[in-house]
Amino acid sequence: MSFLGFGRPQPTSAEKIAAVENELKVVAEMHSRMIKVCTAKCIDRTYREGELSKGEAVCLDRCSAKFFEAHQTISEQLQKEGAARGFGGPGA
Amino acid sequence: MDTGLTAAESRELDARLQKRQVKEFMTVFGNLVDNCFNACVDDFTSKALSGRESGCISRCVTKSMTTQTRLGERFAELNAAMTAEMQKR
Repeated sequence: MSFLGFGRPQPTSAEKIAAVENELKVVAEMHSRMIKVCTAKCIDRTYREGELSKGEAVCLDRCSAKFFEAHQTISEQLQKEGAARGFGGPGA
Repeated sequence: MDTGLTAAESRELDARLQKRQVKEFMTVFGNLVDNCFNACVDDFTSKALSGRESGCISRCVTKSMTTQTRLGERFAELNAAMTAEMQKR
């Protein structure tokens, strides 16, 4: 164990690459979840039309904004509750 | 994005991402098939897709592509805004 950064091992190349890759993976996962969720909420499943209707398009825009807001709200709440219990925050 | 990687590390990352892209494409393709199949096909009195079913599937694919393009644009905007917000703190 090292304290105060003394003798902290430098991350290896592989670790650095993995860290960036992981960050991108988290973003990509959120993206694909958003597509799934907002499609389910907004798109008429009868597919009588191949075009997005005006209503569906507006719904998708609002759904994506809300999805992000929910994401942030939940992550803040988890961080707060995690801190209250003495953890360093979720998934860190 | 500032990743703090050297040029060689960046190349290694690109190579890995490219490999993942193939896998991701397969997932997207699979989800598209599942979603459009589930939405359009529910009659199993024949083994061939009916005209109505294949029309539905074709419309479903077109619409899903438009949906993904639109959500992709929104995602990029929102993600950029969120990143900027986080860096301000």
